Amino acid sequence: MNNKNILKLLVCGFMVPALAYFVACKKVDYGASTTSDVNITGYLEKYPDSFSLFKQILDRTETSDFLNAYGAYTCFAPTNSGVTKWLAKIGAASVEAADLTRLKNMVKFHLLTDTITTASFKDGKLPVPTMFGQFLVTGVSNESGTSSYTINRQSLVTQSNIKVGNGYIHQLNNVLEPSTFTIAQQLEARPEYSIFVQALKETDFYTLLNTVDPDTTKRWMTVMAESNAALADSGINSYADLKKKYSKTSSPTNTNDSLHMYIAYHILSGVKFLGDIINAPSHSTMEPQEVISVELINQNVVLNQVEFNGVIETGVTINRAISDNAATNGVWHDAKAHFTVKYRKPAALYWDVSTFPEILKLPAYYKKQSYTWTRINEADQPFKEITWGWGSLASTNIFTYSYSTTSSVTRYAVNNDVNQLPLGLPARPPYWEMTTPPIVKGKYKIWMCYSRSKQSSSSNMLCQVSVNGEVMPRTVNFTDLRPKGSDAELEAIGWKQYTEVRAYNTDSNYAGRLVGTYEFPTTQRQTIRITNLSGTQNNDYLDMIHFIPLDDNQVWPKFKIDGTKIYQ
Amino acid sequence: MKKLTTYAFLLMLLAGSASCKKWLSLKPQNGLVRDDYWKTKEQVDAAVTGIYASMLGSNTDLPLAEYLFIWGEGRTDMVAPGVGTSASEYDIVNLNILSTNTYSRWSSLYQTINYCNTVIDLAPGVLKSDNTFTQEHLNQALGEARTVRALMYFYLARVFRDVPLKLAATLSDENIAPMPKSPSDSVLLQVVADLKEAEGNLPTTYGNKNTDKGRVTKYTANTILADVYLWMEKYTECVAECNKVINSGKFGLIGGDFDLFNELYYKGNSNEGIFELQFDAQKLNPFYNMHLLATRRWGAASNLMEDVFGVDHVNATPLVDLRGEGNSLRASDLTIWKYIGANSAASSLRSVGQSYAHWIFYRYADILLMKAEALNQLNDPQTAADLVNQIRTRAHAFDFNGSPDPNSQAAMEKFILQERQREFAFEGKRWFDVLRNAKRNNYQNIQYLMDMAIISIPQDRQQAALNKLKDRNSHYMPINLTEMQTNKLLEQNPFYK
Repeated sequence: MNNKNILKLLVCGFMVPALAYFVACKKVDYGASTTSDVNITGYLEKYPDSFSLFKQILDRTETSDFLNAYGAYTCFAPTNSGVTKWLAKIGAASVEAADLTRLKNMVKFHLLTDTITTASFKDGKLPVPTMFGQFLVTGVSNESGTSSYTINRQSLVTQSNIKVGNGYIHQLNNVLEPSTFTIAQQLEARPEYSIFVQALKETDFYTLLNTVDPDTTKRWMTVMAESNAALADSGINSYADLKKKYSKTSSPTNTNDSLHMYIAYHILSGVKFLGDIINAPSHSTMEPQEVISVELINQNVVLNQVEFNGVIETGVTINRAISDNAATNGVWHDAKAHFTVKYRKPAALYWDVSTFPEILKLPAYYKKQSYTWTRINEADQPFKEITWGWGSLASTNIFTYSYSTTSSVTRYAVNNDVNQLPLGLPARPPYWEMTTPPIVKGKYKIWMCYSRSKQSSSSNMLCQVSVNGEVMPRTVNFTDLRPKGSDAELEAIGWKQYTEVRAYNTDSNYAGRLVGTYEFPTTQRQTIRITNLSGTQNNDYLDMIHFIPLDDNQVWPKFKIDGTKIYQ
Repeated sequence: MKKLTTYAFLLMLLAGSASCKKWLSLKPQNGLVRDDYWKTKEQVDAAVTGIYASMLGSNTDLPLAEYLFIWGEGRTDMVAPGVGTSASEYDIVNLNILSTNTYSRWSSLYQTINYCNTVIDLAPGVLKSDNTFTQEHLNQALGEARTVRALMYFYLARVFRDVPLKLAATLSDENIAPMPKSPSDSVLLQVVADLKEAEGNLPTTYGNKNTDKGRVTKYTANTILADVYLWMEKYTECVAECNKVINSGKFGLIGGDFDLFNELYYKGNSNEGIFELQFDAQKLNPFYNMHLLATRRWGAASNLMEDVFGVDHVNATPLVDLRGEGNSLRASDLTIWKYIGANSAASSLRSVGQSYAHWIFYRYADILLMKAEALNQLNDPQTAADLVNQIRTRAHAFDFNGSPDPNSQAAMEKFILQERQREFAFEGKRWFDVLRNAKRNNYQNIQYLMDMAIISIPQDRQQAALNKLKDRNSHYMPINLTEMQTNKLLEQNPFYK
């Protein structure tokens, strides 16, 4: 072996391991944890510039650990500048110096036990309360061209929807503070509501509005307050004026006193921000059986705007800018004008059911020709005010606006049109439900006016009618002819001829059937439902429903084909 | 022995020459590589056709037409959600768009842009390899690519405002680099430059009516340019471009005895069409299940008949705007009729296999109404009114909520906007029309957007939505989160932080 060979060997000896080193597998760094996502606490730790103080508060209140565990939370995290401002406001030099209970409440007020993104933010409260118990109110505000979400009108969301392992974080520029005053205290602190507050006191409602009931099902209330200015517009310049106008008994605490009713009519139960209020057409008040109806007209929340017999009564607008004021026991709003319970005399409603919004949009059909709607599935609701129970045979879920001047079904019907819906178990829709126009509260007789038809000679269609869920005593059968007899004879057995008088054989198909007497407890739109009892067929033709006050004439007026009323 | 060696040598030579040579080259067995492409004029033509095909549907993203529909209509008072509406779509309706929203993706458009860029970059090289490829032929190919690219960027600028302006082809992974956004103004300038260059190169016709509607012609470039100028508030230029299309004498309004719905939407490629996405039995549009009642994601808003098209309760034979029932929508079940309807009686639907109603980018009615809008801004409301009336007469429109004072510019602006709402219902234009009118003269009429929100936003979210709309950044979509993560130079629209 010469030197050269030794050298070669040496070189090889070095090269081979060197090569092996280069081509060998690199060590792959397999993470030991299943995810690198941080949790809420972890995120706050990652950004001490923004959140060191809030983190400190979490540490001191011993909430850090549970916010680092898995779960579903939404945390509204105020930045350091916000916390500093708040500490100064409560007079604490540092987090360590602040009162522990106060800090605990503060943390609870910033946490929700659900994951809420900004997509759930509406013009009102969030769907879940904070861990503190009070709801947060969201909105959007625009300052010098930039829009941001606001929380409780106290803070802006400066960064939103930060997704972390156990929920969402929304960054706030201010600390949120729960309300510490009751509705009564808040109103009393504002001199512009002095008359209303005095009325609250005199009627004893002040005590109610000043209590925070430990039972949360009873705690929450909503008040529609009237400012002195709103009252002044109606000529009420002092409490004395108000009392003079309403208090007819000696004591306003008496529930029969109109002043008591006036105040009771301004209080709703439950916590209802404007966003919640507009989601229902009416709300019951503390005044038994009186409701406030609500409509959103051109962004304005308007109370008690109703149409009776074609006359529109202008309602009262809520002043959005100064409403939605959260208190410890509810929320209060400001009404722009004075309003109170309105006593209306019950008035008959002759409801032509085949004039409904959806057909009015089809001028080629309305009062021209028939039109059929098909419901595709149970979830599909083609009508705003008409629905029916889903029939298991899908093809029977068809609703027809039936019009003809010649067919025996509609030739004498009011406006020559009727509504048709197949009904009857086992396969056809089991019931047919409608929402009526507003009906003034009071006692009424209810007449179902239909155009009798039988699908086949053996068809039968016995139905019961229920109003607001209450079953009427008499049944109605869409296959029954109107019996013979004079008006008085017929009325005595619960029948009437609602169309113009013709010879019996010509229009015995058109029958008004009394189903019962019902006392509407509130003035509002009511629900009426026709439920099949026995028989099944397609040919159920409804023309009108009459709601006639008990003491009024039940037989007259009758109706001409063009819809005009004929009086006796 | 020597002989044997010779034979063996010859045999090996033969084997060597006959055997597969390419044992060292790695090429895909079922695809083409660039080195083998871009050799002949046929290949250039195929690449140009590919641009159009990419607009019909994408392999990796939702079809372009779906985006265009949702961007143009989703935030407006024309549509309402149905049983199948997704969370992303609801968020669009409620103006709650987050950067995770499915419809904030732009890849479908950039894909088409890349096809355009590829043609623009590589087609000129073919002149060398194919003698029969003429300069004129090349110019036409470049013109088509530039026009489509301009159209895509015009959409991006209207939907996202500031977007990355990528003008070079991404040919391989090496070309992928992070890229910042360009301001919308410079994007629009590029759009104008592209269209002007294309205008001189594009033919006025391809010799076939259907091709003229499906491929871009000179008049397509003029029309897009008119729309871009209108968006940029350059009204004289807009009128000039409209006049080029009007004076060509190649287009007209469908009217007279023709069935408007049948000609324009059911058959497509009408005399009125300027540029249409021609879906066919091989490539269906994405609208069938989107609009079909049982699976509906988007239906017509419930107030359209009485508030937009008008319902005549007065006359014995009611006046009917031809663009309402049986054209834009079926009023009884609020079905959007343009894409899935089969007749103007609103009685029968297309079958699934027939769902190839075209997506109409532009038609002649648009030219007339764009010209009217521009003239009105140049303070000539009377001439504008005459143009609008051409459209109204054709559609049998009737005055149900008063007609505007022909001398008032402001009243005419509003009237033209309403007329566009009727004329182009569900054609993906409403949001851009309202935004264009709202943002004019430094957002002089932001009220247009508010008025729309009052109708379209659910009651309990209205106040929040109205305050959001006051922020101008909210009028543009967020950049999708995936884009933000892959391209670190992108900056999110500040409204969505």
